Amino acid sequence: MGPTTNPVTSLLPEPPPLAEEQLVARLRAQDEAAMTEFYDRYSAALYGVILRIVRREEEAEDVLQEGMVKIWHSFQSYDPSKGRLFTWVLNVCRNLAIDKIRSRQYRVSSHSQPLDESPAEYQPAVDSFRPEHIGLQELTRQLNPDQKQIVDLLYFEGYTQSEVAEELNLPLGTVKTRARAAIKVLSNLIR
Amino acid sequence: MNIEEYIESGQLELYALQQLTPAEAAEVERLAAEYPAIRAELTRVQRALGLYADAHAVTPPAGMRERVLSGFQQAVRQQAEAPAAAPQAAPVVPPAPAPEAVVRPISAPAQTTAGSAFRWLAIAASVALLLSLGANWLLYARLQDSQHELSLAQARQETYAAGMQAVEKRLATRTSELGVLRDEQFRTVVMTGTAQAPGARAKVMYNPATRAVYVDVHNLPAAPSGKQYQLWALDKSKPVDAGMLSQAAAAGDSLQRMKDIASAQAFAITLEDEGGHPTPTMAALTVMGQML
Repeated sequence: MGPTTNPVTSLLPEPPPLAEEQLVARLRAQDEAAMTEFYDRYSAALYGVILRIVRREEEAEDVLQEGMVKIWHSFQSYDPSKGRLFTWVLNVCRNLAIDKIRSRQYRVSSHSQPLDESPAEYQPAVDSFRPEHIGLQELTRQLNPDQKQIVDLLYFEGYTQSEVAEELNLPLGTVKTRARAAIKVLSNLIR
Repeated sequence: MNIEEYIESGQLELYALQQLTPAEAAEVERLAAEYPAIRAELTRVQRALGLYADAHAVTPPAGMRERVLSGFQQAVRQQAEAPAAAPQAAPVVPPAPAPEAVVRPISAPAQTTAGSAFRWLAIAASVALLLSLGANWLLYARLQDSQHELSLAQARQETYAAGMQAVEKRLATRTSELGVLRDEQFRTVVMTGTAQAPGARAKVMYNPATRAVYVDVHNLPAAPSGKQYQLWALDKSKPVDAGMLSQAAAAGDSLQRMKDIASAQAFAITLEDEGGHPTPTMAALTVMGQML
C-alpha cells in the first residue's frame, strides 16, 4: 500500500427519502414551519454556493432569503420525478446568485474582475455533525486543474459553454467532454 | 437510439449544469423518463454536482438564521396580503363612512345581592380562563420547542447514519485490499523506474488462477494535465492493455483492480493521453518489472 492512505471514499449527506418526502409534502401544503426545517437542513450548502458566486456575505444572505421566497412561491413547479429537492433548490439559488452578479457586472462593467481573484478566503463549514462531509481541498485534489476550472466556470460563474470555449480557447466539444470527465470523477467519489 | 453513446455524449452533464435550451432540456427529460439507464446516469450526475456544491458549504454567521427566517416570513405574508387587498382597491368607490363606535356597558349596575355574587363568580371564571390561556400558551411554546429539537436530533441522527455508512464502505474497501495482500495465490511483481523516472516504483499483484490484477503505486511522478497512466501486461513480449490508473491509485492512495489478464510474464506502466492508447508508447515507459 502507498505511503499515504487517505482516500476520499465518502457519501453525500443524503437524507432518507422519507424525511425528504415529508418536507416536500409540507412545503407543497404551504406549511410555513416547514421552511424552518428547510433552513436547518440546507442553509449551509445553499449559503456556501451563493457566497462562492456573489462573494459578499451581505449579498449572499439577501440572495438566500430571496431564494427561499422564490422556492416557497414556485414550489408547485418542483417535480420530484425530475430530481431531488436539493438539486432543484440549488438551481433556484444558483440562478438568483448568477443573475445578481450579472446585473452587478453590467453596472460596473469597466471594473470586471478577473476570474477567481477574490480577496476573501472563506472558512469552510466546520460542522461536527457532518462526518461524511467532503472537504473542498480533498475534492480539488481529485479533480485536475483543467477539470476544476471548467466546472467552476459553468457552475459558479454562469458561463455558457461557448463562453467557456472562448475564454479557454478550446473547441466546444472539448468543453463538453471535460465537463463530463470532471463530473465522472465527482460521481466516482460517491459510489 | 444508442443509449450508451448518448450517455457518453455529455448532454446529461450540460442539462444538470443548466446549459441547454428549453427544447434540448425537454428532450433530455423525455429520454430520462423513457430509458431507466439515462435516468440513473442523470441522477448520478446531479448527485455529483450536489456533492460539489456541498463541498462549498459554509456555516452561515450567527444571527442569520433569525434574520433570514423572519425576512422570509414577512415577504411571504406581504405578498399573500397584496393580492387580497388589490381587488378592494380597484373599484373607485368612495369609502363607506366608518361605522360609529358603539359603546355598550359591560354590565348593568348591580341592583341585588344575587347580582353581585354572580359578578364575583364571573370575575373568578374570567381569571381562571386567563390563567388557563396563559398555561396553554406556555405549553404550546414548549411543545413547539420540543418538536423543533426533535427534528434537529433526527436530522443529526440521519447524518450520523450516513457517516457510518461512509466509514463502513471505506472499511469494506480496505478489507478487500488486505485480502489481496494476504492471498497466497497472488504473485507480486515489483516494477522499478526507467531512466526517465528513476525514483518511480509500483507493484502489481497478479493472480494467474483468477486472472485478477491489482496495482499498488509507491511513487509515480504526477501526471501532467491531459495525461494518464496506463498499465500493460506483457505476454510473451506482446503488450496487452490492463486498464487506466485512476488518480487515487496513481497517487498511491489505494489499490486499484485492473482488467483481468489471462497470462503475463511482466508488467509495465506508460504515460498516455487521457483515456489511454491501444498500444504502449515506449518513449513514455515509466516503470517495468518481470514476474519472478
